[in-house]
Amino acid sequence: MGQTRLRLFGLVAVALMVAAACGGSTATPPAKQYKIGLVTDIGGLNDKSFNHLAYVGLQKAITDFNVKGDVKESKTGDDYVPNLTNFASTNYDLVIGVGFLMQEAVGTVSGQFPNIHFAIIDGAGTDAKGNDLKHANVESLYFREQDAGAMVGVISGMLEKQGKLKNNKGVISAVGGISIPPVDHYIAGYKWAATMEDPGIKVLVGYSNDFTDPAKCKGVAQGQINGGSDVVFQVAGGCGLGALQAAGQAGVKSIGVDADQKDADPSVIASALKKVDVATYTAIKDVVNGQFPGGALTFDIQNGGAGYSVDNFSLPADIQAEVTKVQGEIAAGTLTPPDKIPA
Amino acid sequence: MPLGSVVFAFVVGGLLVAATGGNPFSAYAGLICGGFGVGCTQGENPALQISNTIVFLTPLIATGVAVALPFRAGLFNIGAEGQLLAGSMACTAIGIKFSTLPTPILLPMVLIGGMVAGALWAGVAGVLKATVGAHEVVTTIMMNYVAQWLLRYLIIGGPLQLASGTSKSLPIGPGARLATLLPSDNSLIVFGLPASVYRVHTGLFIAIAAVAIFAFLLWRTTLGYDIRAVGQSQRAARYAGVSVRRTIIVTMLIAGAFSGLAGAIQIAGVDHNLTDKYFSDTTGFDAIAVALLGLGSAVGIVLASLLFGALHAGGSVMQSDAGISSNLVLVLQALILFSIAANFLGAIRQLIPGLRRPPTAPPRETPSAALMTEAAAPPPEAISK
Repeated sequence: MGQTRLRLFGLVAVALMVAAACGGSTATPPAKQYKIGLVTDIGGLNDKSFNHLAYVGLQKAITDFNVKGDVKESKTGDDYVPNLTNFASTNYDLVIGVGFLMQEAVGTVSGQFPNIHFAIIDGAGTDAKGNDLKHANVESLYFREQDAGAMVGVISGMLEKQGKLKNNKGVISAVGGISIPPVDHYIAGYKWAATMEDPGIKVLVGYSNDFTDPAKCKGVAQGQINGGSDVVFQVAGGCGLGALQAAGQAGVKSIGVDADQKDADPSVIASALKKVDVATYTAIKDVVNGQFPGGALTFDIQNGGAGYSVDNFSLPADIQAEVTKVQGEIAAGTLTPPDKIPA
Repeated sequence: MPLGSVVFAFVVGGLLVAATGGNPFSAYAGLICGGFGVGCTQGENPALQISNTIVFLTPLIATGVAVALPFRAGLFNIGAEGQLLAGSMACTAIGIKFSTLPTPILLPMVLIGGMVAGALWAGVAGVLKATVGAHEVVTTIMMNYVAQWLLRYLIIGGPLQLASGTSKSLPIGPGARLATLLPSDNSLIVFGLPASVYRVHTGLFIAIAAVAIFAFLLWRTTLGYDIRAVGQSQRAARYAGVSVRRTIIVTMLIAGAFSGLAGAIQIAGVDHNLTDKYFSDTTGFDAIAVALLGLGSAVGIVLASLLFGALHAGGSVMQSDAGISSNLVLVLQALILFSIAANFLGAIRQLIPGLRRPPTAPPRETPSAALMTEAAAPPPEAISK
């Protein structure tokens, strides 16, 4: 291939880039249809977890409010800022960042585009040191994960106490991704509730330090099962699917997280639900109604933003009764699961 | 051959899109818009797209060199990612520890610190290869894991962790940062957007300098001659008086320094702190494709980095504009690599008598290295004639 041709190609490419850079944007104002941009974290849309749920919320809003909804999946953490910026710079009415790990990116971009609304699941727009910048155009969608964790904690604690599980050594466990607030909230509620049902129970807690690689969580879970655990609660997104598989292979029970994960593995007996779809839908509704409050919104058992599902398993009547009772007490505020993992 | 591979990948990728019910033309229009800012339909800002592409291609150039140089010596450096992480960790540690120093002192410190860390990381593999013959593919891959777990330790519970409950480090001092080309100012409007959205930084020039140094080293120095001699035939090189062991170790040290520099540039120019996003970083692996596609030549590496940077930046625009999953980008990258590795375009050429060329080179110990010999990419003086 000729070197000259290559040079010519390079020149043309540069000329095009310069021309394009000088051209500026030529957006034509469309008829008012709200534009919603959703940026997933590296888990992607098919994570069977909160990215997927955010997408479900977006789809519902598209149906209900006739908004235009577009998605950008982040392949690496390097994509967060460009993806958010691209939506903001093309005048989307609301840009939603899914996940705690996007906090700093949302903080940066929301400062650059004060006229664009942002929402972030599980976090706020922060600076590099993790301080909330409190930008008025950012809505933080928080969850009381400990409420959902407590529900599955009651189920696990009572099952173990009744002594019908495989190892029957009074041990259950949780596999966390990285020790960050949304993960630790779940585990805090889980351990607190299990201990409430059975004060003698031992709750093993381990972290894979990863949210995407199932092999890492599988290893942590196998260690816990070897230590006698009968129920493995995964709180690690896509990585945690490996923990569910480890439980299935070892013949013990497991608990899913965020979404109903009954299809992820037959060993899943319940899932702790975090209704990211409800939160996403709420943020979109706020923008469409022109009532975007900014600041923090918290979703919990009381407002239907957290809960549980029972999967691949029929809950004994006494356990079901206790779960319902505890749920009512948390909703009424007479019981409050802690947000820090109890000692 | 490389251009053919790219065309092949795009044709097959287009067929895949069409087969799954998408429109390949709108997919590629989205990719081109996102990569080069040309032909955008949704009001994307062209300057922003070009800026994003440049931010992505900068570390690819430096790591591409880190793969290409050992290739020339017949070594397959799969460890560019680990060396990059080592560089980013050293850069961050120095940038935090001496955060009060002024730029003229601290910036060279963090960049050189990153290069030294990367060099040491690759040097381990070089020494093992030269002394006990441990295969560098295995050792460099293993060193990737060591780097990844060291990174996890450092920012989750380790000495660089910002605070408990986080998975990132403190930011590096202001003196350790590479300047952006435009001021990082939210109120200054350039090309219709706040200047701070354009993240292109002076690391670009460092990367270009690195690739120029690579070309000079390879073609104009004794060491470069030794490296190429070892790559062609270790026995012949030894017979000609070249110390094969020394050349292997030095090659790996230099390659690691280039990767480490890429990591340091990324911290100093873009991120300013180590975060969990480095867990999923793939720059050092993309660099293997960049080096292969660029045939291990300086110009080729720059062009291949431009392509991969544009693909990376374009993927998400394609997804939101054309509704095609940005996974298509990964498919395209894989197809490009596949067609280079299989070299079947060359095989097709061999089958057509009119196009047949004389065999270029005898078989060598490392088949992958054969892709990057002088026959595949002639030295500059040969081109200019």
